[in-house]
Amino acid sequence: MLSEERRNETVALDGTASGRLARPDIRSEFGLETMDMNMGPQHPAMHGLLRLILELDGETVMRCDPVMGYLHRSQEKIAENRMYPAVVPMTDRLDYFANIHNEHGYVLAVEDVLDAEIPPRAEYIRVLMSELMRLASHIPSIGFLMLELGAFTPILYAFRERERIQNFLEAITGARMMFHYFRIGGVKADLPPGILEEISEYLDGLEGRFQTDTVDLVTGSEIYVARTKDVGKMTPEQALDMGVTGPPLRGTGVDFDIRRDYPYSVYPELDFDVVTDDAGDVAASYRVRIGEVWQSIRIIRQVIEKMPEGPVMADLGRRLRPREGDGFGRVESPRGEFAVHVVSDGSDSAYRVHYRDPSFCNMQLLQEVVPGHYLPDIMPILGMIDPVSGGWDK
Amino acid sequence: MAVSFPGGDLADRLAGYLDGLNNRHGLEEGVVEGNVVRVVVAPESVPQVLATAREQLKVLHLSFITVVDWEGSFELTYELMDLRGGTVRVKTVIEGTEPVIGSVTNVYPTANWHEREAYDMFGVAFRGHPDLRRTYMWQDHFDHHPLLKSFDISTKRTFEGLR
Repeated sequence: MLSEERRNETVALDGTASGRLARPDIRSEFGLETMDMNMGPQHPAMHGLLRLILELDGETVMRCDPVMGYLHRSQEKIAENRMYPAVVPMTDRLDYFANIHNEHGYVLAVEDVLDAEIPPRAEYIRVLMSELMRLASHIPSIGFLMLELGAFTPILYAFRERERIQNFLEAITGARMMFHYFRIGGVKADLPPGILEEISEYLDGLEGRFQTDTVDLVTGSEIYVARTKDVGKMTPEQALDMGVTGPPLRGTGVDFDIRRDYPYSVYPELDFDVVTDDAGDVAASYRVRIGEVWQSIRIIRQVIEKMPEGPVMADLGRRLRPREGDGFGRVESPRGEFAVHVVSDGSDSAYRVHYRDPSFCNMQLLQEVVPGHYLPDIMPILGMIDPVSGGWDK
Repeated sequence: MAVSFPGGDLADRLAGYLDGLNNRHGLEEGVVEGNVVRVVVAPESVPQVLATAREQLKVLHLSFITVVDWEGSFELTYELMDLRGGTVRVKTVIEGTEPVIGSVTNVYPTANWHEREAYDMFGVAFRGHPDLRRTYMWQDHFDHHPLLKSFDISTKRTFEGLR
């Protein structure tokens, strides 16, 4: 049994309710020991193949060190050894929950170095696909968060919606997961007849179902609130220091969205809001994702209304030989800022392709935010980042 | 909200960035191209240039660091964003085949993993980095830096000292 004084010292917090010992030196004084533990790479709740080396003091995490590379496929080296159009299907394999955004980032970068003009209909189709993909990524990511907290129902509802959206994507692209739909200079094929009406009809139903089956089901749940409120809390300065982008950053109140601040494609012609929240915890990023689902629905409706007629592919010639120089493409993927840097030496294939993946960059916050939390809080924090194995490992 | 964003006209702001960098450092090249301020600096002044960008000019976000192996020299691109449409692109060239450059982790903490990745893939040594380990490749017994042009894709990977 600990004496009163010793207990006070042992649980002395550093004022931020982080659980971190105020005086690390008392550890040796009292003979307290920490335990090292490996979490993953094979773990039922882990987002793909991620290994976390944890230093535990009781149930409090003192240190969290992510180890990556279990799914490394040398995407950048492969991209150097293929001709420009042949890299597009490889980008599908990066962040396999938001393939369309990877393709979009890559084709934007190559079009930048080619100085290509894209037909307006192709641009609208690209935005339509991006926002459908965002819906198909955000809705399950809310479900994954709840799955990690032990609730099984939301993921089933989420996958019902993802399945319907994937049916549309399959009708448009011909593939369910690895689309290879975007081409340098446009998109592969025009939309099948009648698909816009069907999507519009589906969105009418989705609004009601998303409200009742996800928002109403989850938001008020006591267990959900207890597990996510004030968990993974960070300040806007911290988030910017760690290079966090996407919903976790907007959850801290930083008003930053590539679609608005670094506009690409036809986003300037569309009307949408950037959703932010001030709490900076897991619950805040969840609320941001909910808000972005509504905004995506709004964008898709405008795209359907404004969809112009015309060709969907620019004539860039059969053989792509860009000028020497750099090309940059940057898109707002569901996880944050996805950027591609293509260096051309004037030949058929890129001299260097660099992907900036939001999963990789956002995961840095694990090192900063997790220490001080309890072990079971790691899962909601991972749910906040929502990393994808193919993304952080390239 | 505690973070303040730059306001005003984008073109003026970009000109201000270029002036601010030009006044404090010797730039080898500095131009405004579209929404991008592109500067080329000597490798030894990179940490100071980025510190100026972050502390004085309030360019808050480091997007990524690209390394290009030009076989004989290495080109590093630091992409900085002010989150409101402006980009500052700092380029530097390190001569030689064993590149060493100062780390910018104390200016932009997010550079930590970007520099680890650059070290892993190209063997660029970042002086002053707190934790320069490999990100993707094996930690032990693996002596290659796979994105170097000298690493052929058909190279059989070898683990020095193992067995």
